[in-house]
Formats: sequence, structure tokens, C-alpha cells
Amino acid sequence: MRIALHVNEETYELDLPPRRRLVDVLRDDLGLTGTKVGCAEGACGACAVLLDGRPVASCLLLAAAAEGHAVTTIEGLSRDGLTALQEAFVAEDALQCGYCTPGQIVSASALLAGTAHPTREEIRDAMAGNLCRCGAYPKIERAILLASGQEVA
Amino acid sequence: MPRLVRTQREMEGRFEDVWVLVDPDDDLETWPADADLALVGRPAVRQDGALRVTGDARYTGDIQLPGMLHAAVLRSPVAHGRVTRLDVGAARALPGVRAVIAPDTSVGFGGDPLLASETEYAGQPIAAVAGDTPEAAAAAVDALRLGIEALPHVVDPDEALREQRFTKEPSETVRGDVDAAFAAADVVVELEIETPAHLQTALEPHGAVAHWEGEELTAWVSTQGMFDARAELARRFSLPRESVRVITEFVGGGFGAKQGAGVEAILAAELARVTRRPVRLVNDRHAEQLDGGRRSWTRQTVKLGARVDGGLVAVESAAVISMGLGGWVFPVNQPALNLYAVEHARGMEFPLRTNLRAHNAFRAPGVTEGVTVFEQAVDELALALGIDPLELRRLNHVERDQQSGLPYSSKHLLACYDRAAELSGWAQRETLRGPQADGLLRGMGCATQIWWGGGGPPAHATIRLDASGHALVTTGIQDIGTGTLTTARIVAAEELGLPLDRVRVIGGDTRANVYAPVSGGSMTTPAVMPAVRSAAGKVRRTLLELASDVLEIAADDLAVRDGRIRSRDGGLDVPVTEVTEKLGHATIDGSGARGPNPDGFRVHTFGCQIAQVAVDAALGEVRVERVVAVHDVGRIVNPLGASSQAEGGVLQGVAYALSEELVIDPTTGVPVNASLDDYKLPTIADVPEIVIEFVNVPDPNLPNIGAKGLGEPPIVPTAAAVANAFAHATGRRCRALPMTRARVLEALRGAEGEGEGEASLAPTEALQ
Amino acid sequence: MSGYLRPAGLEEALTVLAEDGTVPLGGGTDLAGQVDRGIRASGLLVDLQAIGLGEIRESGGGVEIGATATLSRVAEEGLLASYVAVVEAASSSASPLLRNVGTLGGNLCQHTRCWYYRGPEWNCWLGGGDICYAQIGDHRKHGLEAGECISAHPSDLAPALAACGATVVVRSAAGERELALLDLYRRPTGDNRSLLALAAGELVTAVRLPAPPDASAYMRAGERQAFSFPLVSVAAARRGEELRLVAAGVANVPRELDPTDPLAGLPGHPQSAWKRDVLVALADRALAAVR
Repeated sequence: MRIALHVNEETYELDLPPRRRLVDVLRDDLGLTGTKVGCAEGACGACAVLLDGRPVASCLLLAAAAEGHAVTTIEGLSRDGLTALQEAFVAEDALQCGYCTPGQIVSASALLAGTAHPTREEIRDAMAGNLCRCGAYPKIERAILLASGQEVA
Repeated sequence: MPRLVRTQREMEGRFEDVWVLVDPDDDLETWPADADLALVGRPAVRQDGALRVTGDARYTGDIQLPGMLHAAVLRSPVAHGRVTRLDVGAARALPGVRAVIAPDTSVGFGGDPLLASETEYAGQPIAAVAGDTPEAAAAAVDALRLGIEALPHVVDPDEALREQRFTKEPSETVRGDVDAAFAAADVVVELEIETPAHLQTALEPHGAVAHWEGEELTAWVSTQGMFDARAELARRFSLPRESVRVITEFVGGGFGAKQGAGVEAILAAELARVTRRPVRLVNDRHAEQLDGGRRSWTRQTVKLGARVDGGLVAVESAAVISMGLGGWVFPVNQPALNLYAVEHARGMEFPLRTNLRAHNAFRAPGVTEGVTVFEQAVDELALALGIDPLELRRLNHVERDQQSGLPYSSKHLLACYDRAAELSGWAQRETLRGPQADGLLRGMGCATQIWWGGGGPPAHATIRLDASGHALVTTGIQDIGTGTLTTARIVAAEELGLPLDRVRVIGGDTRANVYAPVSGGSMTTPAVMPAVRSAAGKVRRTLLELASDVLEIAADDLAVRDGRIRSRDGGLDVPVTEVTEKLGHATIDGSGARGPNPDGFRVHTFGCQIAQVAVDAALGEVRVERVVAVHDVGRIVNPLGASSQAEGGVLQGVAYALSEELVIDPTTGVPVNASLDDYKLPTIADVPEIVIEFVNVPDPNLPNIGAKGLGEPPIVPTAAAVANAFAHATGRRCRALPMTRARVLEALRGAEGEGEGEASLAPTEALQ
Repeated sequence: MSGYLRPAGLEEALTVLAEDGTVPLGGGTDLAGQVDRGIRASGLLVDLQAIGLGEIRESGGGVEIGATATLSRVAEEGLLASYVAVVEAASSSASPLLRNVGTLGGNLCQHTRCWYYRGPEWNCWLGGGDICYAQIGDHRKHGLEAGECISAHPSDLAPALAACGATVVVRSAAGERELALLDLYRRPTGDNRSLLALAAGELVTAVRLPAPPDASAYMRAGERQAFSFPLVSVAAARRGEELRLVAAGVANVPRELDPTDPLAGLPGHPQSAWKRDVLVALADRALAAVR
């Protein structure tokens, strides 16, 4: 079926199997491989993208269901150079293998867009859907606090 | 002049004799503890951090080649089965399907068939297909219409034990007269604990993209060992090594699971060979959890005998291990034999053959399982003796490796105990056990860490310094998230005397043929960094010789630091480029090789972790509130990366203690939780406060940096510390980990002997 | 047939759903997994996002929540703030990523998480086969009732809404009915293995809450601190002297409990019996929170 997707402020006209998931369209059809597949069952958050500004699991979303919405991927967030959040992730070493990192950035960006100075508890609530097997969590929390201009003990 | 010498190489406690190329020009004095270093020991961000945070880093599954096919694998839905039907023709005839490899057919040239028509574990590959799209490949797998007859299987360890199904004969390691020593001991304690099957669960599954150009094979492989992958692919396809190129630039975690080429790369290469098109094969999560690998379930029975003054006189450890189809028997009994000074010791292992995938390495394999149980037994002994658990450990401290009799190259375990005690408030831990305002039960527990980490040859590095004063360091490192590329950058820059931003390290590609060992066994830092330093040392010496040509000052009177060349008398201070710009298109080159490890030592790492837990007894819930981890791993090159590795190990250890286990259906022998939905990794909300410190005293006997590996040490003692903290809080122990609500409630009820069912064969009887 | 359709209105959606081989699609967070694991047959997916059921509004002294309102929306909605149990249940469900697309209707109608039901290697009784593998196998996360299927109900919102007295509006091409929330569920039988009391072509379109209770609470015990289905959970609500207690995780449907005897009728199975202790503790805490 023909689907028009609005991704990172560009419109793409695509001819796709109706059941193809958004993450696969982003990666394989649009070459936007920054979004990762960790589980394809919504359990890890590596596939997180913004849908109308809200973080969602793109592995569960049909591409067809995303038509008419604004999709923002990690590439879209990174278009104008590293954001303060991304700088903080690098500076604080809030990543190890980096596979979960785009998803973490997507969720954290949405958090900071809505909450200027999140508490540790708010960070944990907002980031609970983004698994990190390498265990960068303590530094992820720290990077988000610092990126929001808050002091960290 | 280079020479070839014979030496011993150690990895994860296994020793092998190897020839290595050595060059006296590589020899550099190990930096002393008080060396004035510009960069080593200071925090540095990852060289490629920006690529990872923007999504620009390309992992194996991100590689897209023109005409690339998508592969899928049909896997066994039963624990033991015989294929009765497979519609290969129907699958091959589907539109968009380009190849089907049936079971029992040769994959590549030689080597056992990877696809089996008689399968011995759920998830075992039966057939592989390649299609134009992922949908075509999935349709092909469905069209195979697998018919499989289920055969009897054994997954229950006690059943395997009763039937004496072993992957290799049970064995024992003994020193002294253990039985007599137990008989003479003042106090004997015995403890039996089960540790769970634990899945590496790297977020990036195993996968590969394979591409033939004529008789040359290029494979992007998500592996921890690209040179091993190259060798395996070369063997499998009867190619010279030079005709195979493995690219492993970014890996989404390994934790031991991703060794060599893996079935995925070999199947991808075969599909690519028969279709003459590039092929991508990546495991889905279910396949990854079934077939990616695992730390085996164990049941360990530990017996300790001691004098009333706390001195150990005898230890015995019997470990029943559910191996799956095979694999190397990891050293579960190492802690019993080596953690503490004891004259009489026996370690017995019973490696059971069960219908699961063969187990493989998972971060500090064997020793993590062993410490998890042994350190709990030590706490039970402390309780029986009325001695503080940390003090009991100090009393039994040992300065040499008891199996070989050799001294340790360095050991600062006592300092770890003291510092961990200080940071955790160990001396006041009894106050945690009083009534708490929130109604939770609190406690604190400790555990000792031991592991290897000395690395060894072979490992090489080459460096080219160009006219602009920039250095390119070529290594064989595949950085799986450990940050070792950045470590190499720091070491190279330090030795070269350049700022970090003028040094770039590359790895992840076998084409350069600059070898580094697998990113495992805590090898990379101790093996590769000395080679990097040696290469840099040669470049620096050459640079100074050339500087003397240009500046007309003797090379011995010159030094380079922070990108500047200075004379000893301070009269000259110029940028490096003042010399290098004269190179034009030439470069200053240097190669370094890792020399042999020192004779007459054993190289180990040590540490102490102390955990504090809070228990909600009514809900059976254990929360780890704080973990203090103090480790002795020699010199720390990058404290930022080192603390990240340590936090990661601790978190995996906490999950091993509290939430992760592979559960197998008893009726069908198939794992029930081979998904991320039901195999529960910790989230950010589960993270305790983690305090990491390193002793950071260089090992004076390790060439030429004094740094040991630290990838594995931090996971080793965490679960034991958590279990000991639970025991301190509640006076009880869970007979099996992880400490789920059900097990905690059972332990708190004090229900002894429940659930034993049929009497199982005692391990010592099985040995006779 | 494996297509996708996005109707523009409710009546159009109901007409399509009256056909065989059609499946309603909310956020897809459960349906996607079912399709992947072969539990739900391929068919025409009918995307409900544009049919106008996403609103939350005051109605009849209480609040009406459209079935396609997302869980995030439910958690954040000011009109629902007084229904503490509902807000707590919505906030603690799943993960933020899933709450941002998962719908209320989808959450109530989600299939069980039983690992035999979901696992591709078993065709269990609930899925149309002959054997309940849980009862003969590993049922440590399963329910406490006896029966053909001992799976555990996974929705946080079902017990919370039920305790607060919610009803469910069900529409089809043929008409409309309103039922108590707990009546949305049924025990599966030999000839009908569904846990939902919905006929073919029926769609949950709204949940209606009466005026808020005097107090309500939601207590849950999961497998980790966040992002876990409830192993056991209890919602409590008090209106005057009247108490209601409803649990998830202890039966294959949301289960009303007798506040004076929460364990009645829940003997447990050997590996799930531990849930009885936790149920009592959570019930105590929930009741204490609303007294």
C-alpha cells in the first residue's frame, strides 16, 4: 500500500507491505539506521522515536499507523550538531556499547522538553522503558540532570 | 631485532604455550606509581562517543549493501527432535526467495553441518533461507512447514545426574588430606545453593552481513573476536586468511556470548556464496535468548572446616553444572581452591549433559557462580565462629596462588577490604538491623572478588605520525562497549607526548592484520596497551632523533609532551609540527608487540564489594540500596571508562542475585522466558547507589603499564554480597538464586526441606 | 488477507469490524506481539485512531473515557485526578513508551501474558489446544484459582476501574450495550476459549466512571521496580462505608475480593501459592490507605 510518512520534517512517499513496522521502514527503506532493534516486542526501548513529540516504540507501530503524524528519529534530533543532552551523555560517559543510546536520547529529549528540571524520580519514571544491558544507568541519570542545568552531588 | 620465543599465555585461567614475536626495542620501563603522567589516569571521554549518541555508529545490522538479501533461520521448537518433514522445494519456489539451506547439508567446505535434522535443544538451527525482503524470508520459513517428532529429552539436572549424563567425566582437584582435616576441624559448616542460568542478553543480537567479491569474503560480524571469526570463516570456506576480511567496528554488547564467527556469520556467508549476493542474518530476540549463550545453572555444595580462631583448615566444593550440550567446564571451584589460605582443599565438578544449547562464557564464567556460593558459606562460618565476616576474610588472606605455589604479581586485597569497609560504614552495620521507620529489614554483606586479568601475547599495534603532527594508531581491538579504543588513545598519546585530540585509534577491521586478542577474559588492556605503548615509544624516539636533525640539539636532551618538543635546559620549546612538517608525505612509523608475561608470578585481580539491602518481608521484595565496590586491577588508565565498566558489572551482578534466570518448562524442555518480556533485565528504576573505587596501584611486574583487565572483576562478588546482606537483614538464606518474591517468602517462612521431591543422588556418590 | 485500514468514524469502523477476519487495532502494543507470535491470525487490521474515541470528558456526575485514550492521557488527565487508583494504575502500567500509544480499550482487552500462551512452542488450552501446560509445568507467575486455564490477568486498569465502579460501553454494527467492567470478562470454556465477553464485531468504545469514590488506592507487586506486569495487584475503593477490593494477577480475569476474606476461593497452585501471602499484604495496605 502507498503510505506517506513525515519523518524528520521530510515527507516520504513509500510503497510498503501493509504490515511493515515503522522501525523497519525507518532503517531499511529510509536508511535511518540510528534507531535500533533490540527485541521487536516493545520491551527494550532501543527503537524509541518521537511521534508528535512523544517517545514511542517504533518496533510495535505499523508504518501505516504513523501516517499523518510527525516522526522524529535520533537523526532528526542530531541535525544541528550535538544537543546539550548529547554533549552531556558523551562528557559523563552515559553510554558503553551505545546500542541503547539513541533510544535513551530520544526518551530523555522528550522528558527535558516537557520538564525543565526533572527530579531523579521523574527521570527514573520517564526512562524506565529504555533498557541498558551495559549498565550505564547511573551516568545516564547524571547526564540528564546535568543537561538540565542542575547540580549533581 | 625481533625474535621468536616460547611463552605461556593465560586466558580465564587456561594456560597454553605459544610462540610470540618479541623485540627488545619494545621494552619500556613500567611507569612507576608516582610517574608524572599527562594523560594516563585522567578521565577521558570515548573517542567515538559522538557517533554513538547521534545514531551515526553503524552496527552490523545497520550495514546495507546493494542487492542485499535478508536471511531467516528455522529453529527447533522442541528440546530433542527428529525432522520428519521439510518442504524445501515449496519454500524455495516462493516469490522473492533466493536460497534455502536444508539440514545435514554441507555449509561451506568441510566442518560439521551447522543445520541439524536431529536437534538436541530448543532453538537449534534446522534450516536457513534468504529472500529479497524480510517478509519473503519469513514466508519461506513458514513455507518449510516443519514436521518434527519430539524425542525424549533431559533438562532437569537431577534427572541428568541420576542417569549419569555428563559432557565429560566428573573430576576433582585435591590438595592435602581433606577428610582428615575436616575430621580434625573445630567447626564445620556446609551450605548448598543453586545459582541460575543467566543469559548475556546483549541488546544487539548476534548477526552478520556477508559479501563475496570473487573468492574474497568480507563479513561484518557482531563478535568479540574478529580475528577468531576470520580464522573460522577461512577454515570453513577453505580460504587463506588474507582472503577473509572481518569488520567489527561497533558491537552492541557481548558479555562473552559473541565468540568467533558464530553460526550467524557462517550461514550468512554460505547464503551469500550460493546466491552471489550480500546477505544479512540477524537473530531475532527469541532466537538470541535461546541460542545466544548462557551462564549455566549450578548447584554447589560447599563445606568449610576451621579452627575456633577463624583459620580455615579444609574446604570442599562440589559443583553440579547444567552444561547443555557441551562447552568448556568453567572454573566454578576456583574460589574454593584459591580465595583464601587453606592447606586442604577439594573441588569436584559434575558437568551434566542436558538438552540446552552448549553453555558459553558470560562475564567471569565459573568464578562468578563459585564466588556467589562460596562467599555465602564463608559468612555462615563467620556466624558459627562469632567472628566479623570481613575480619574472617582478613584472617585467611593468602599472598600466593596456592595451586601453582607462585606469588601473585601484585595483590592489594587487604586495602580493598579496608576501603570498602570505610566507604560502606561497615563498622556500624549492626545499627541497620534495628527497627526501621519504614518497616523494612535492612542488612549489609560483603564478598571477595578474585579473577585473572593479566592478559598476554600476542598483541600488536602500529602507529604512523604524519606531517601535521597527528598520529594514527592501528590496533586489532573490537570495542564492544568497554572503551578500550579510548584506553589505547590515552596510552598512545601519553607515550607520544601528544594531546589526545591529535591521536586517533582505529580497530574493528582485520584487513590491517594488526592482531589483538578477543575482547574477553579481561584481556584487552593488559595485552594490547603495552603493544600500543611500545609502538608509541619507537615513534617518539624516532621523532626525537629527527628533531635533533632539525633543531640541532642531541636527541637525549629533548623531550616531547603536550604536543611540544622541549630541551632539558628549557631553552627550546617548539610545537611538534616544527619537526613533523618537514616530513612532507612521509610518516614516522612504529610497531609494537606485547611481550611475555613475567615468569614466576600469577597475575590476578582482587576486590571487595559490600552491599546494603532493604527487605519488605510481607511482599517478599528485596531492594539493593547501595553497593560499594573497591577493586585492585593495577593501574587505571581511564578512570571514567573504568568506573563505567565497574557499574555495569555490579548491575549485572545485582540482576543475577535478584531477577534474572532462564526458566525451562519441565514437560517439554523448552525455555518459557526466552524473550525480553519475561526475562527481566533491570531498568533504571532498579539501580542502587553504586560507589566505585580502584586501588590504582600499578602492578610492577606487568609490562609496561602495570594495568590489569577490569571487564570481569566487578561482576564477580556482587550477588554474594547481596545474598550476604539479605542474610544479615533476615537471618535467612534463599536456597536458590535469584531471590524472587517466592523464594524470599519461602526463606522467611524458614521452610526447610520443602520442595526436595525425590532424593537426588549426592554428588560424592556419583563420583564413585 | 493481511491489510490495514484506518476508518474515519465509529460507524464505518463498526461496519468493517462486522466482517470476518477483521481485528481492531488500538495502540498495537499487545496486538503486534500477538501477530508476531502467531496468536492472532492475520486479517485486516482496523486502526481505531481516527474514529474519535480518544477524549476524556465529564459525564453524568462522573467521567467518560474514550476507549482509544492512551494510558499516558489517562495518567495525566486532570478530570481523573480524584480517582487515585485509576491514575496510579495507569502510571504504573508498562513503560512510558508503551503508555504513549497503548489505549485504554486495548489495555482492558489485552490477552494474557502466560508464557505458554504467548510462546510459539506450545499450543495451549487457552489458545485452542488440549493441554494447560502451566498446570503441569512452571506456573510460578500464574493465578490462584482452579480451572481449565490458570493464567493471570495482566491489566492494572481493570481492577482499578472496577473498584471505582466503572462500566464499559460496547458497540457493534447492531447496537450498544453497557455493562459493569468486570462483566467484560468471562471464564473460558471448552467451546469458547476467550476471556472476553465480547461477540464478534463488538468493540469497547468507552469506560464510564461514576462520581469519584471517597478514597481509592492501587497497590502492586511487580518483578522489578518499573516496567513489569503486576504479579499481584489490588485496587481498593471506599464509598461511605462500602469497600470494594479487586485484584489482578490472581485469576484469569480481574477478581473481586471479599475485604473480610481476600483469599476466599483462591487456594493457589503449588508454585503460585506464594501470591497468597502477597495478596493479603497488598489488600491490607490498600484497605488501610482508603479507610
